Amino acid sequence: MDQTTPTVYVVDDDEEVRSALKLLFESVGLPVVCFASALEYLDRFDESLPGCLVVDIRMPGMSGLDMQEKLNELPLHPPVIIITGHGDVPMAVRAVQAGAVDFIEKPFRDQILLDSVHRAIEMDAEKRGEASRLSEIRDHLNQLTPREREVLDLVISGMRNKNISEQLGITLSTVEAHRSRVMEKMQADSLSHLMRMMLTLENE
Amino acid sequence: MVNSGESLRWWVVAGLLLMQFTIPSLLYADMVRIGVLSHRGDQATLRNWGPTAEYLHSSIPEHDFIIRPLKFDDVNPAVSAGEIDFVLVNPGIYVNLEVKYRVSRIATLYNRRNDVPYKIFGGVIFTRHDHAEINTLADLRGHTMMAVDDTSLGGFQMAMREMVEQGIDPYTDLKALRWGGIHDHVVMSVLNGEVDVGTVRTDILERMASAGTIELKDFHIINPQQVEEFPFALSTRLYPEWPFSKVAHTADTLAQQVAVALLNMPHDHHAALAGKYAGWTIPLDYQPVHDLFMTLKLPPYQYLGKITLVDAISRYRYWLLGGLLMLLFMVVLTLKVMRLNQELKKAKDRLELQHELILDSVADGIYGVDMNGRSTFFNKAAERITGWGAEDVIGHNQHEILHHSHEDGSPHRAVDCPVYQTFRDNQPRFISDDVFWRKDSTSFPVEYSSTPIRDEGGKTIGSVVVFRDITMRKRAEEEARQHQIELARAGRLSTLGEMASGIAHELNQPLTAISTNAQASMRILEADPSNTTVCVDVMERIAAQADRAGEIIRQLRRFVRKEPLESSQVDVNVLVNAVAVLIRPDITRADVRLILDMQQPLPKVLVQPIQIEQVILNLARNAIEALSELHDRERVLHIGTRQQPGGIIHLWVRDNGPGIKPELETTLFDPFVTGKSDGMGLGLSISYGIIEAHGGKLSINPDYQDGAEFSFNLPIGEVA
Repeated sequence: MDQTTPTVYVVDDDEEVRSALKLLFESVGLPVVCFASALEYLDRFDESLPGCLVVDIRMPGMSGLDMQEKLNELPLHPPVIIITGHGDVPMAVRAVQAGAVDFIEKPFRDQILLDSVHRAIEMDAEKRGEASRLSEIRDHLNQLTPREREVLDLVISGMRNKNISEQLGITLSTVEAHRSRVMEKMQADSLSHLMRMMLTLENE
Repeated sequence: MVNSGESLRWWVVAGLLLMQFTIPSLLYADMVRIGVLSHRGDQATLRNWGPTAEYLHSSIPEHDFIIRPLKFDDVNPAVSAGEIDFVLVNPGIYVNLEVKYRVSRIATLYNRRNDVPYKIFGGVIFTRHDHAEINTLADLRGHTMMAVDDTSLGGFQMAMREMVEQGIDPYTDLKALRWGGIHDHVVMSVLNGEVDVGTVRTDILERMASAGTIELKDFHIINPQQVEEFPFALSTRLYPEWPFSKVAHTADTLAQQVAVALLNMPHDHHAALAGKYAGWTIPLDYQPVHDLFMTLKLPPYQYLGKITLVDAISRYRYWLLGGLLMLLFMVVLTLKVMRLNQELKKAKDRLELQHELILDSVADGIYGVDMNGRSTFFNKAAERITGWGAEDVIGHNQHEILHHSHEDGSPHRAVDCPVYQTFRDNQPRFISDDVFWRKDSTSFPVEYSSTPIRDEGGKTIGSVVVFRDITMRKRAEEEARQHQIELARAGRLSTLGEMASGIAHELNQPLTAISTNAQASMRILEADPSNTTVCVDVMERIAAQADRAGEIIRQLRRFVRKEPLESSQVDVNVLVNAVAVLIRPDITRADVRLILDMQQPLPKVLVQPIQIEQVILNLARNAIEALSELHDRERVLHIGTRQQPGGIIHLWVRDNGPGIKPELETTLFDPFVTGKSDGMGLGLSISYGIIEAHGGKLSINPDYQDGAEFSFNLPIGEVA
């Protein structure tokens, strides 16, 4: 499987539903992999694979919701689209609270499901992009010396260079030298760019 | 031979003879025995006649003669047995012996009367002189009379002959006829006034008078006869005196010798004097005695002439008396039997009345049927219930009147009538559901029994039918059934409510597959209209999924509709399979493995299929619910069917869940008892009612330890 092509993962115990979904996704050129149960999918789970999950809520063994909870314990997983034959409100609330991107009642218009899938794949891609950005920032951050890191934290807190020099007991020019090295190592265009990067990290 | 008492007497006589008269040659001489009528006692006879025997021995020395006294009754036996050689008896007895034993007289006695020899004698009838009203024989009627004995010639029979010839029957015309036994007693009885009239032989009165016992003037002679040279008072004809006779076996020479000796005896011989007689004469004519006996119809002439009623009465009076007594006894007996009969009849009437009362007071209709099928009785309740009067039914064919058709109007053949079947097999039977027909041609539901009636010999002679109108009961049953049906349907709807989400999911699966497939096909065709190969395949799948959805809908519709009232013959396995469809979502969700263990083929049962399906579904869902509490092993639901002996289909639903809490087991089938937090507790109670209504029983198997096992039986072919 092409590691980079987003794929639709279908988990449904009903073989007919599985094959129908497979046909549908393939008809729009989306790669599809089907699983007959939640456990089967979890067994073969690989977080590096991009795409989205289409999961039936009622399944023998582990239900779709249970599987969603299991996935949430992992750092990265494809966005989950829940499909159900019986869309009762408590189940929908639970699914969405647990982070499901969509909750679609069977039977459905194909376009609704396809739109949802496309959106989920984009979200996945975004999530995957953001994740790579974060790790880049962390890498840059790890290149800073402790003194440079101290200067960074104080800059982000909004302190002027003068105050920083007083606080750290170093000369103003030393502060400025640290600060320009921080900007360089963090590949920040501007102070505001640097602050955005740090905020992103804090939110994680 | 003679008996020992007899021989003793012989020896006594011989001894006396030896003592009185020395007869040296006795032991060697040929013993000649002379039987003498002993009417005055044996001693007197020996005393009187011993000298005569001695005289004969002296005349005929080669023979020894002995006297044998004979009582009246001894004469005939002695003669017939040949115990005597000569016999000396009165003329009456002689005449009999002559006829019966061919004895023949060889001499006639000269009786000594007042020292004058008389060879004839008669009877005298007399009263005491003060009986002036009795003068002729005819006057004797209505008076009491005493005679010596009915066999005494001079002492009765001679007088009787005269009376009979005068038309007087002494046995009937006299006030009383008594027997004195001896002559002197008769005389004294008359003299004492004990009787009005007496009769004795001639010369008794004179002899008693000369002895001084009586005086002749005290007596009055009735029917006095005057005969020349006969000096005694006489009332009858005269008859010859006692004859001396030889018995048939006695040799003629001896008889001649004896006759000669007797005739030669001087009239004053001491032997004659001792015997109070006066010698012997040639044998006289005894025809007058024969005549007398003929007249009196006495032996040996008892059968002569025409026997008059009076004769018969007098002759057979003891027989008649016996007969009369018997008759009286019979009459008494008959009366008693009649009275008993009457009492019996009364008792029978009373019993019948009682029966009728009982029959008429019971609420059930009762009637009897004889072997020809005709009604024999019909009680009041039967009349009230059927509208038929007893007179319409009794004597008529009960089947044609009451039982001619089935409820639907089709004819009920007499051959199939349980009442008649009772006759054939002698078995009582009970029919719980049938109809009888009223007089107004309407029918009503009945239950009835038919019991054979047997006679004393155990043979069936009919039957008794007891019936009851069960309209009310049927209505109540119908209402209960309707209620049961409503309850069952309510239970199903409630069950469906609980199952709704599962069912929706189950329906949505094929719908989803269909719609998804269809839309995918459109996209494929839009992209490449020539790509039909894939689409044809997809269309097939769509059709299959539509069928699948349809099947679920069908099952659902079947399950929720108001089922028809009629039961139908179904295979329980079909019901189990239908339930398997309905519980599929539940099974899937609860991750239960369903094992079906059904015997194939299975005889059909007559049931309300939906209701039985409902029971199976309830049991299965309960099991699934129990199984969802199970986390440590595989969840298994086991449903099985078997045919069992006794025409029973057995179905069980078994799970390996936690089992039924013991405290719930006893009340499990009660309404509103539940082990579930969200259950109403109606499922099992409704199920129990359904199975019970089908003649079965729903129960929990208390021995099943690995979870819970519910099971029920359904009778094969039983009407639900």
